[in-house]
Amino acid sequence: MHELSLATSLINLIEREAAKSGFMAVLEVQIEVGDLSGVEADAFGSALELLVSDTILSGAEITILRTPGHGKCNTCDREFLMTTRTDTCPGCKAFPSEISGGEEFRVVSMVAE
Amino acid sequence: MCETCGCGTETHDHDGHTHTHHGLTHTHDHPNKKVVNLNMDILSENNRLAERNRGYFEGKKVLALNLVSSPGSGKTTILEKTIGKMIATRKIFVVEGDQQTARDADRIEKSGAPAIQINTGSGCHLDAKMVHQALLKMEVENNAILFIENVGNLVCPAMFDLGESKRVVVISVTEGDDKPLKYPYMFQTSNLCIINKTDLLPYVDFNVETAMGYARQLNPNLEFILLSATTGDGMDAWINWLKRQ
Repeated sequence: MHELSLATSLINLIEREAAKSGFMAVLEVQIEVGDLSGVEADAFGSALELLVSDTILSGAEITILRTPGHGKCNTCDREFLMTTRTDTCPGCKAFPSEISGGEEFRVVSMVAE
Repeated sequence: MCETCGCGTETHDHDGHTHTHHGLTHTHDHPNKKVVNLNMDILSENNRLAERNRGYFEGKKVLALNLVSSPGSGKTTILEKTIGKMIATRKIFVVEGDQQTARDADRIEKSGAPAIQINTGSGCHLDAKMVHQALLKMEVENNAILFIENVGNLVCPAMFDLGESKRVVVISVTEGDDKPLKYPYMFQTSNLCIINKTDLLPYVDFNVETAMGYARQLNPNLEFILLSATTGDGMDAWINWLKRQ
């Protein structure tokens, strides 16, 4: 259940960034969680809900954007959508493929005042 | 709900009564609000601290190894036997991560190496800050080996760089030989895979070639060492690997 400590990392990051610019409140936060990032987006969202009270994120609208996994087959160069890190190429069934997207786990932006 | 004015809900209550604001709407603007583009990795602080640890290790020529595995794969026994074989010729230090108890650190100290126990409580992994704090309590000597025994868990520790020189994943033959496929992230981020408890191979349904094949598919650069910490079989290959690093 590392989503709890990841949620703590996010809250600490936002509090640091808000303090740097002298913001008193954070109204919105946009987060990007890739399908291949190793983070369960739903569990991460639930963990955030649990932890935000009494932080600068209390009451903020938190949006989690899911990024699909993308891969390129090392054998036939076909590009395809991946749901897990161990997906085989849908064309030639080869494995492994080079992951080209979906590993993101980052905060995109915030709206603060 | 907005902390400042309470907007964001249709009505709210004070002391049990529900009311609406008189003359103010809940859709007023926040004139000072600003959009800030951050584009920051959420683990950036951990990664920054990990790089500090890494710099410290490189400066002191310390070989820092992050040992990860499922619970019960035999990490602590491997360390006890390794210390027994190497402590006469090489300084060894150990950071032990467990949710509870100092039992593993006690075992390590009995085998002759200084150890610091980190209890993560409800946490399921070590992070770079915990390792940094452990290093403040234990002076690791130059040219030493530092073993960081992570919490037994093949999922969570994969995401957290500790600043280690190399990551070593340990599996035992009493687990399934399809373990690499089930926990691909860990095998993709490791440099060496130790397959432990080989003395039990005649009694279990574990195919070494199958396990190594799956792991190699995920990570073609992964090295392998087969050993039994209990019988000592294969330990020399492991000791030689350590000396080569």
